[in-house]
Amino acid sequence: MIKLIEKIEGEAKLNFNFKEGKIDFVDIEFMSTRNIENILKGKNAFDALVINPRVCGICGHAHLIATVQALESCYENLELSNKAKSIRELTLNFELIQNHFKWFYLTLFPLFGKKQEILKATYPSQLMAKAIAVFGGQYPHTSYAIVGGVVCEITHMDIIKLQHYISQTSKFVEDNLVKTDSKTFLTCKDADALLDYEGDLPDILREIKKMNLLGHGKSYDRFISFGQNSYFKKGKSLKTKVSHNISLEHVKESDIASSFAKNVSFKDEYYEVGPLARAMINKNQLIADAHKKYGDSIFSRILARVCEISKLLEHSKKLIDNLDLNEPSYIEPSMDISKLNSIGYSAVEAARGTLIHKVEIEEGIIKNYEIITPTQWNLSGGTKEKQGVSQKAMVGLDDVKTAELVFKSFDVCSVCTTH
Amino acid sequence: MKNNSLFNKLSSRLDELSNLPKLDDKVSISKLIEEKGFSRREFMGWAGAMASMLMLPANFTPLVAKAAELADRLPLVWLHMAECTGCSESLLRSSTPSIDSLIFDYISLEYHETIMAAAGWQAEHNLEHAMEKYKGRYILMVEGGIPHGQSDYFLTIGAHGKTGEQSAKEASENAAAIFAIGSCSSFGGVQAAYPNPTNATALSNVTDKPVINVPGCPPSESNIVGTLLHFILYGTLPALDVFNRPKWAYGLRIHDACERRGRFDAGEFVEQFGDEGAKDGYCLYKVGCKGPYTFNNCSKQKFNQGTSWPVQAGHGCMGCSEPDFWDKMGIVHEPLGDRLYHTAFGGLGSDATADKIGVGILTVTAVGIAAHAAISLIKKPKE
Repeated sequence: MIKLIEKIEGEAKLNFNFKEGKIDFVDIEFMSTRNIENILKGKNAFDALVINPRVCGICGHAHLIATVQALESCYENLELSNKAKSIRELTLNFELIQNHFKWFYLTLFPLFGKKQEILKATYPSQLMAKAIAVFGGQYPHTSYAIVGGVVCEITHMDIIKLQHYISQTSKFVEDNLVKTDSKTFLTCKDADALLDYEGDLPDILREIKKMNLLGHGKSYDRFISFGQNSYFKKGKSLKTKVSHNISLEHVKESDIASSFAKNVSFKDEYYEVGPLARAMINKNQLIADAHKKYGDSIFSRILARVCEISKLLEHSKKLIDNLDLNEPSYIEPSMDISKLNSIGYSAVEAARGTLIHKVEIEEGIIKNYEIITPTQWNLSGGTKEKQGVSQKAMVGLDDVKTAELVFKSFDVCSVCTTH
Repeated sequence: MKNNSLFNKLSSRLDELSNLPKLDDKVSISKLIEEKGFSRREFMGWAGAMASMLMLPANFTPLVAKAAELADRLPLVWLHMAECTGCSESLLRSSTPSIDSLIFDYISLEYHETIMAAAGWQAEHNLEHAMEKYKGRYILMVEGGIPHGQSDYFLTIGAHGKTGEQSAKEASENAAAIFAIGSCSSFGGVQAAYPNPTNATALSNVTDKPVINVPGCPPSESNIVGTLLHFILYGTLPALDVFNRPKWAYGLRIHDACERRGRFDAGEFVEQFGDEGAKDGYCLYKVGCKGPYTFNNCSKQKFNQGTSWPVQAGHGCMGCSEPDFWDKMGIVHEPLGDRLYHTAFGGLGSDATADKIGVGILTVTAVGIAAHAAISLIKKPKE
């Protein structure tokens, strides 16, 4: 039995149990919490727009968007302009993109014995952060999305800046990540063909192959994604069978005695969330090919996360092209929040997967607030008989080092998890 | 020359520093900067901007440049407490040319949990090693509020299962200077908002050493880097206001240098988000801007390399660098003007001048602002 403290964004403790030289069971424990849900109780509903991004500095923007959508779902007939919708989607895309860069160069690189590439991580993430700041004023921790729309009144000048940030980021991808033009990468449907390219991503993929890790890190092959927008689809995927008819009603949170985190399940089963899940549900051909060849292994998981960078850049370009600046940024809700008694839900796709917010309002005051974060899905700590997604992915591995790689392929974040 | 004595003082401080051994003989900051493709000219440009931010005259630019180059003489220890990692994120995103990030990420960082590659026992060992080796010399930066007293178990860190409170206390003991980065370690932060379920508190409440607060949620990268450079240059703690914030950064209200200040003076207010005033960049006071009560340099430094800041984007300041703004400055989209604003200082609070609490100033300003907003258009009544 080996104990190890894992350094992630925040901390988790992994307790490895070995049986005949192989990992038999891993206990996951979170040792800190801030109890934000309790702080929200009794506060004015709109204050959640300021408090919730602070749940996590890594994916705070997803929390803002989840909050504003949860509050908006409390209203009947709330109107939202397409412009506001697209802008929110854009900033969320940018957050996902910058996150994936940082994960790849700061977290993943050292796991393959490479030096952390701090500048490669910060250069594109700075560009994306600036793109968020154009709309939101700052990143991290903007509160520019409000019930009824967004506060920013952007101009054509801002659009030019955004296009510049996006094209610079695309160029960075072409010069570093996968050394080919974005179009070739985006239309590539053969996961093995990627191994012949130059660049940091093919390097890592080749390394996985060389180290014989191709099939490592497989879990239940069950995916779920609730966040829905003009790019992501809501649905679940069992192996490759996708269905879009799922409901938040079946999502359950349960306490764990030994940890500050809570488990999350859908119809009493654990599901994987995140870029791989999204790609499977979206039927991304490249990822589907990787999945066909290597299953839900670290190969597919890593590829899916990095591939999402290019996909989202591409989609963001389209969103910007279609923005109509003449539309209103904000449409006043027909009812004042102080008159509202209601319950609202939201689900958005954050960098690490589905983020769910649930709010209960009484006369404009928060009566109850519940947050389910992506890492809770992936790191649910099940029992030995019924293990969580990341737990299952580590079972059967020979050593702690590989287990660490598998664990971190989920891009875990404990700051969020215990909130 | 009035500045001569200061110039000489800083020069001799830097000379002293340059005699100290480097953290790593193989790297030097100037070489690194050059390697990363920055010209000397760009570096000096950056140093000039830093000098002006630290309120030093332009002829101090070479000193600031030298201070940056000497950053590898002072090891930096960065601890995470109960927080969201937003402050590190802010730092990781400091300006390109990434001279600031070079300084932080390549040289000075002995222990930074988020970006360091080592994990578990190794990381803890690194920390202990750094603290022992550089006893009395290292700069301590702490991010996050600290669950405290009987609630300290809400934050347990590291392989030995120490509480955050213990770690923070120990690291503070032998630090040359201690900086609380962000509103959480400065004042307790979001987790300390009512009812403060984890009994989180400020760093200054768990150690008896002097703590410099660099609040903001998050503070801008330039305030974090500036704080470090200031210490390298002066070797002493900066002039502070009543909340232990460096005056060079927190000496003025957001309102004082706000780009929409002219609109305020002209009585032009955004009455509701999305209205014509919002499109024309009117003052955001009536939709909840707390700029008149908040001391920080956002309106000058902005965020993300000067890209923007909340007021530019059309959202009022929420007062994030003031103590307990979560509880005291809500409701987010409503002005404070007609409500009593209480702070830790017997209700006097930060609406005084930065370093002196004056009840007269508070009352006059608060009434002044409220009255000013009232005589312009009346806010549309709510249904």
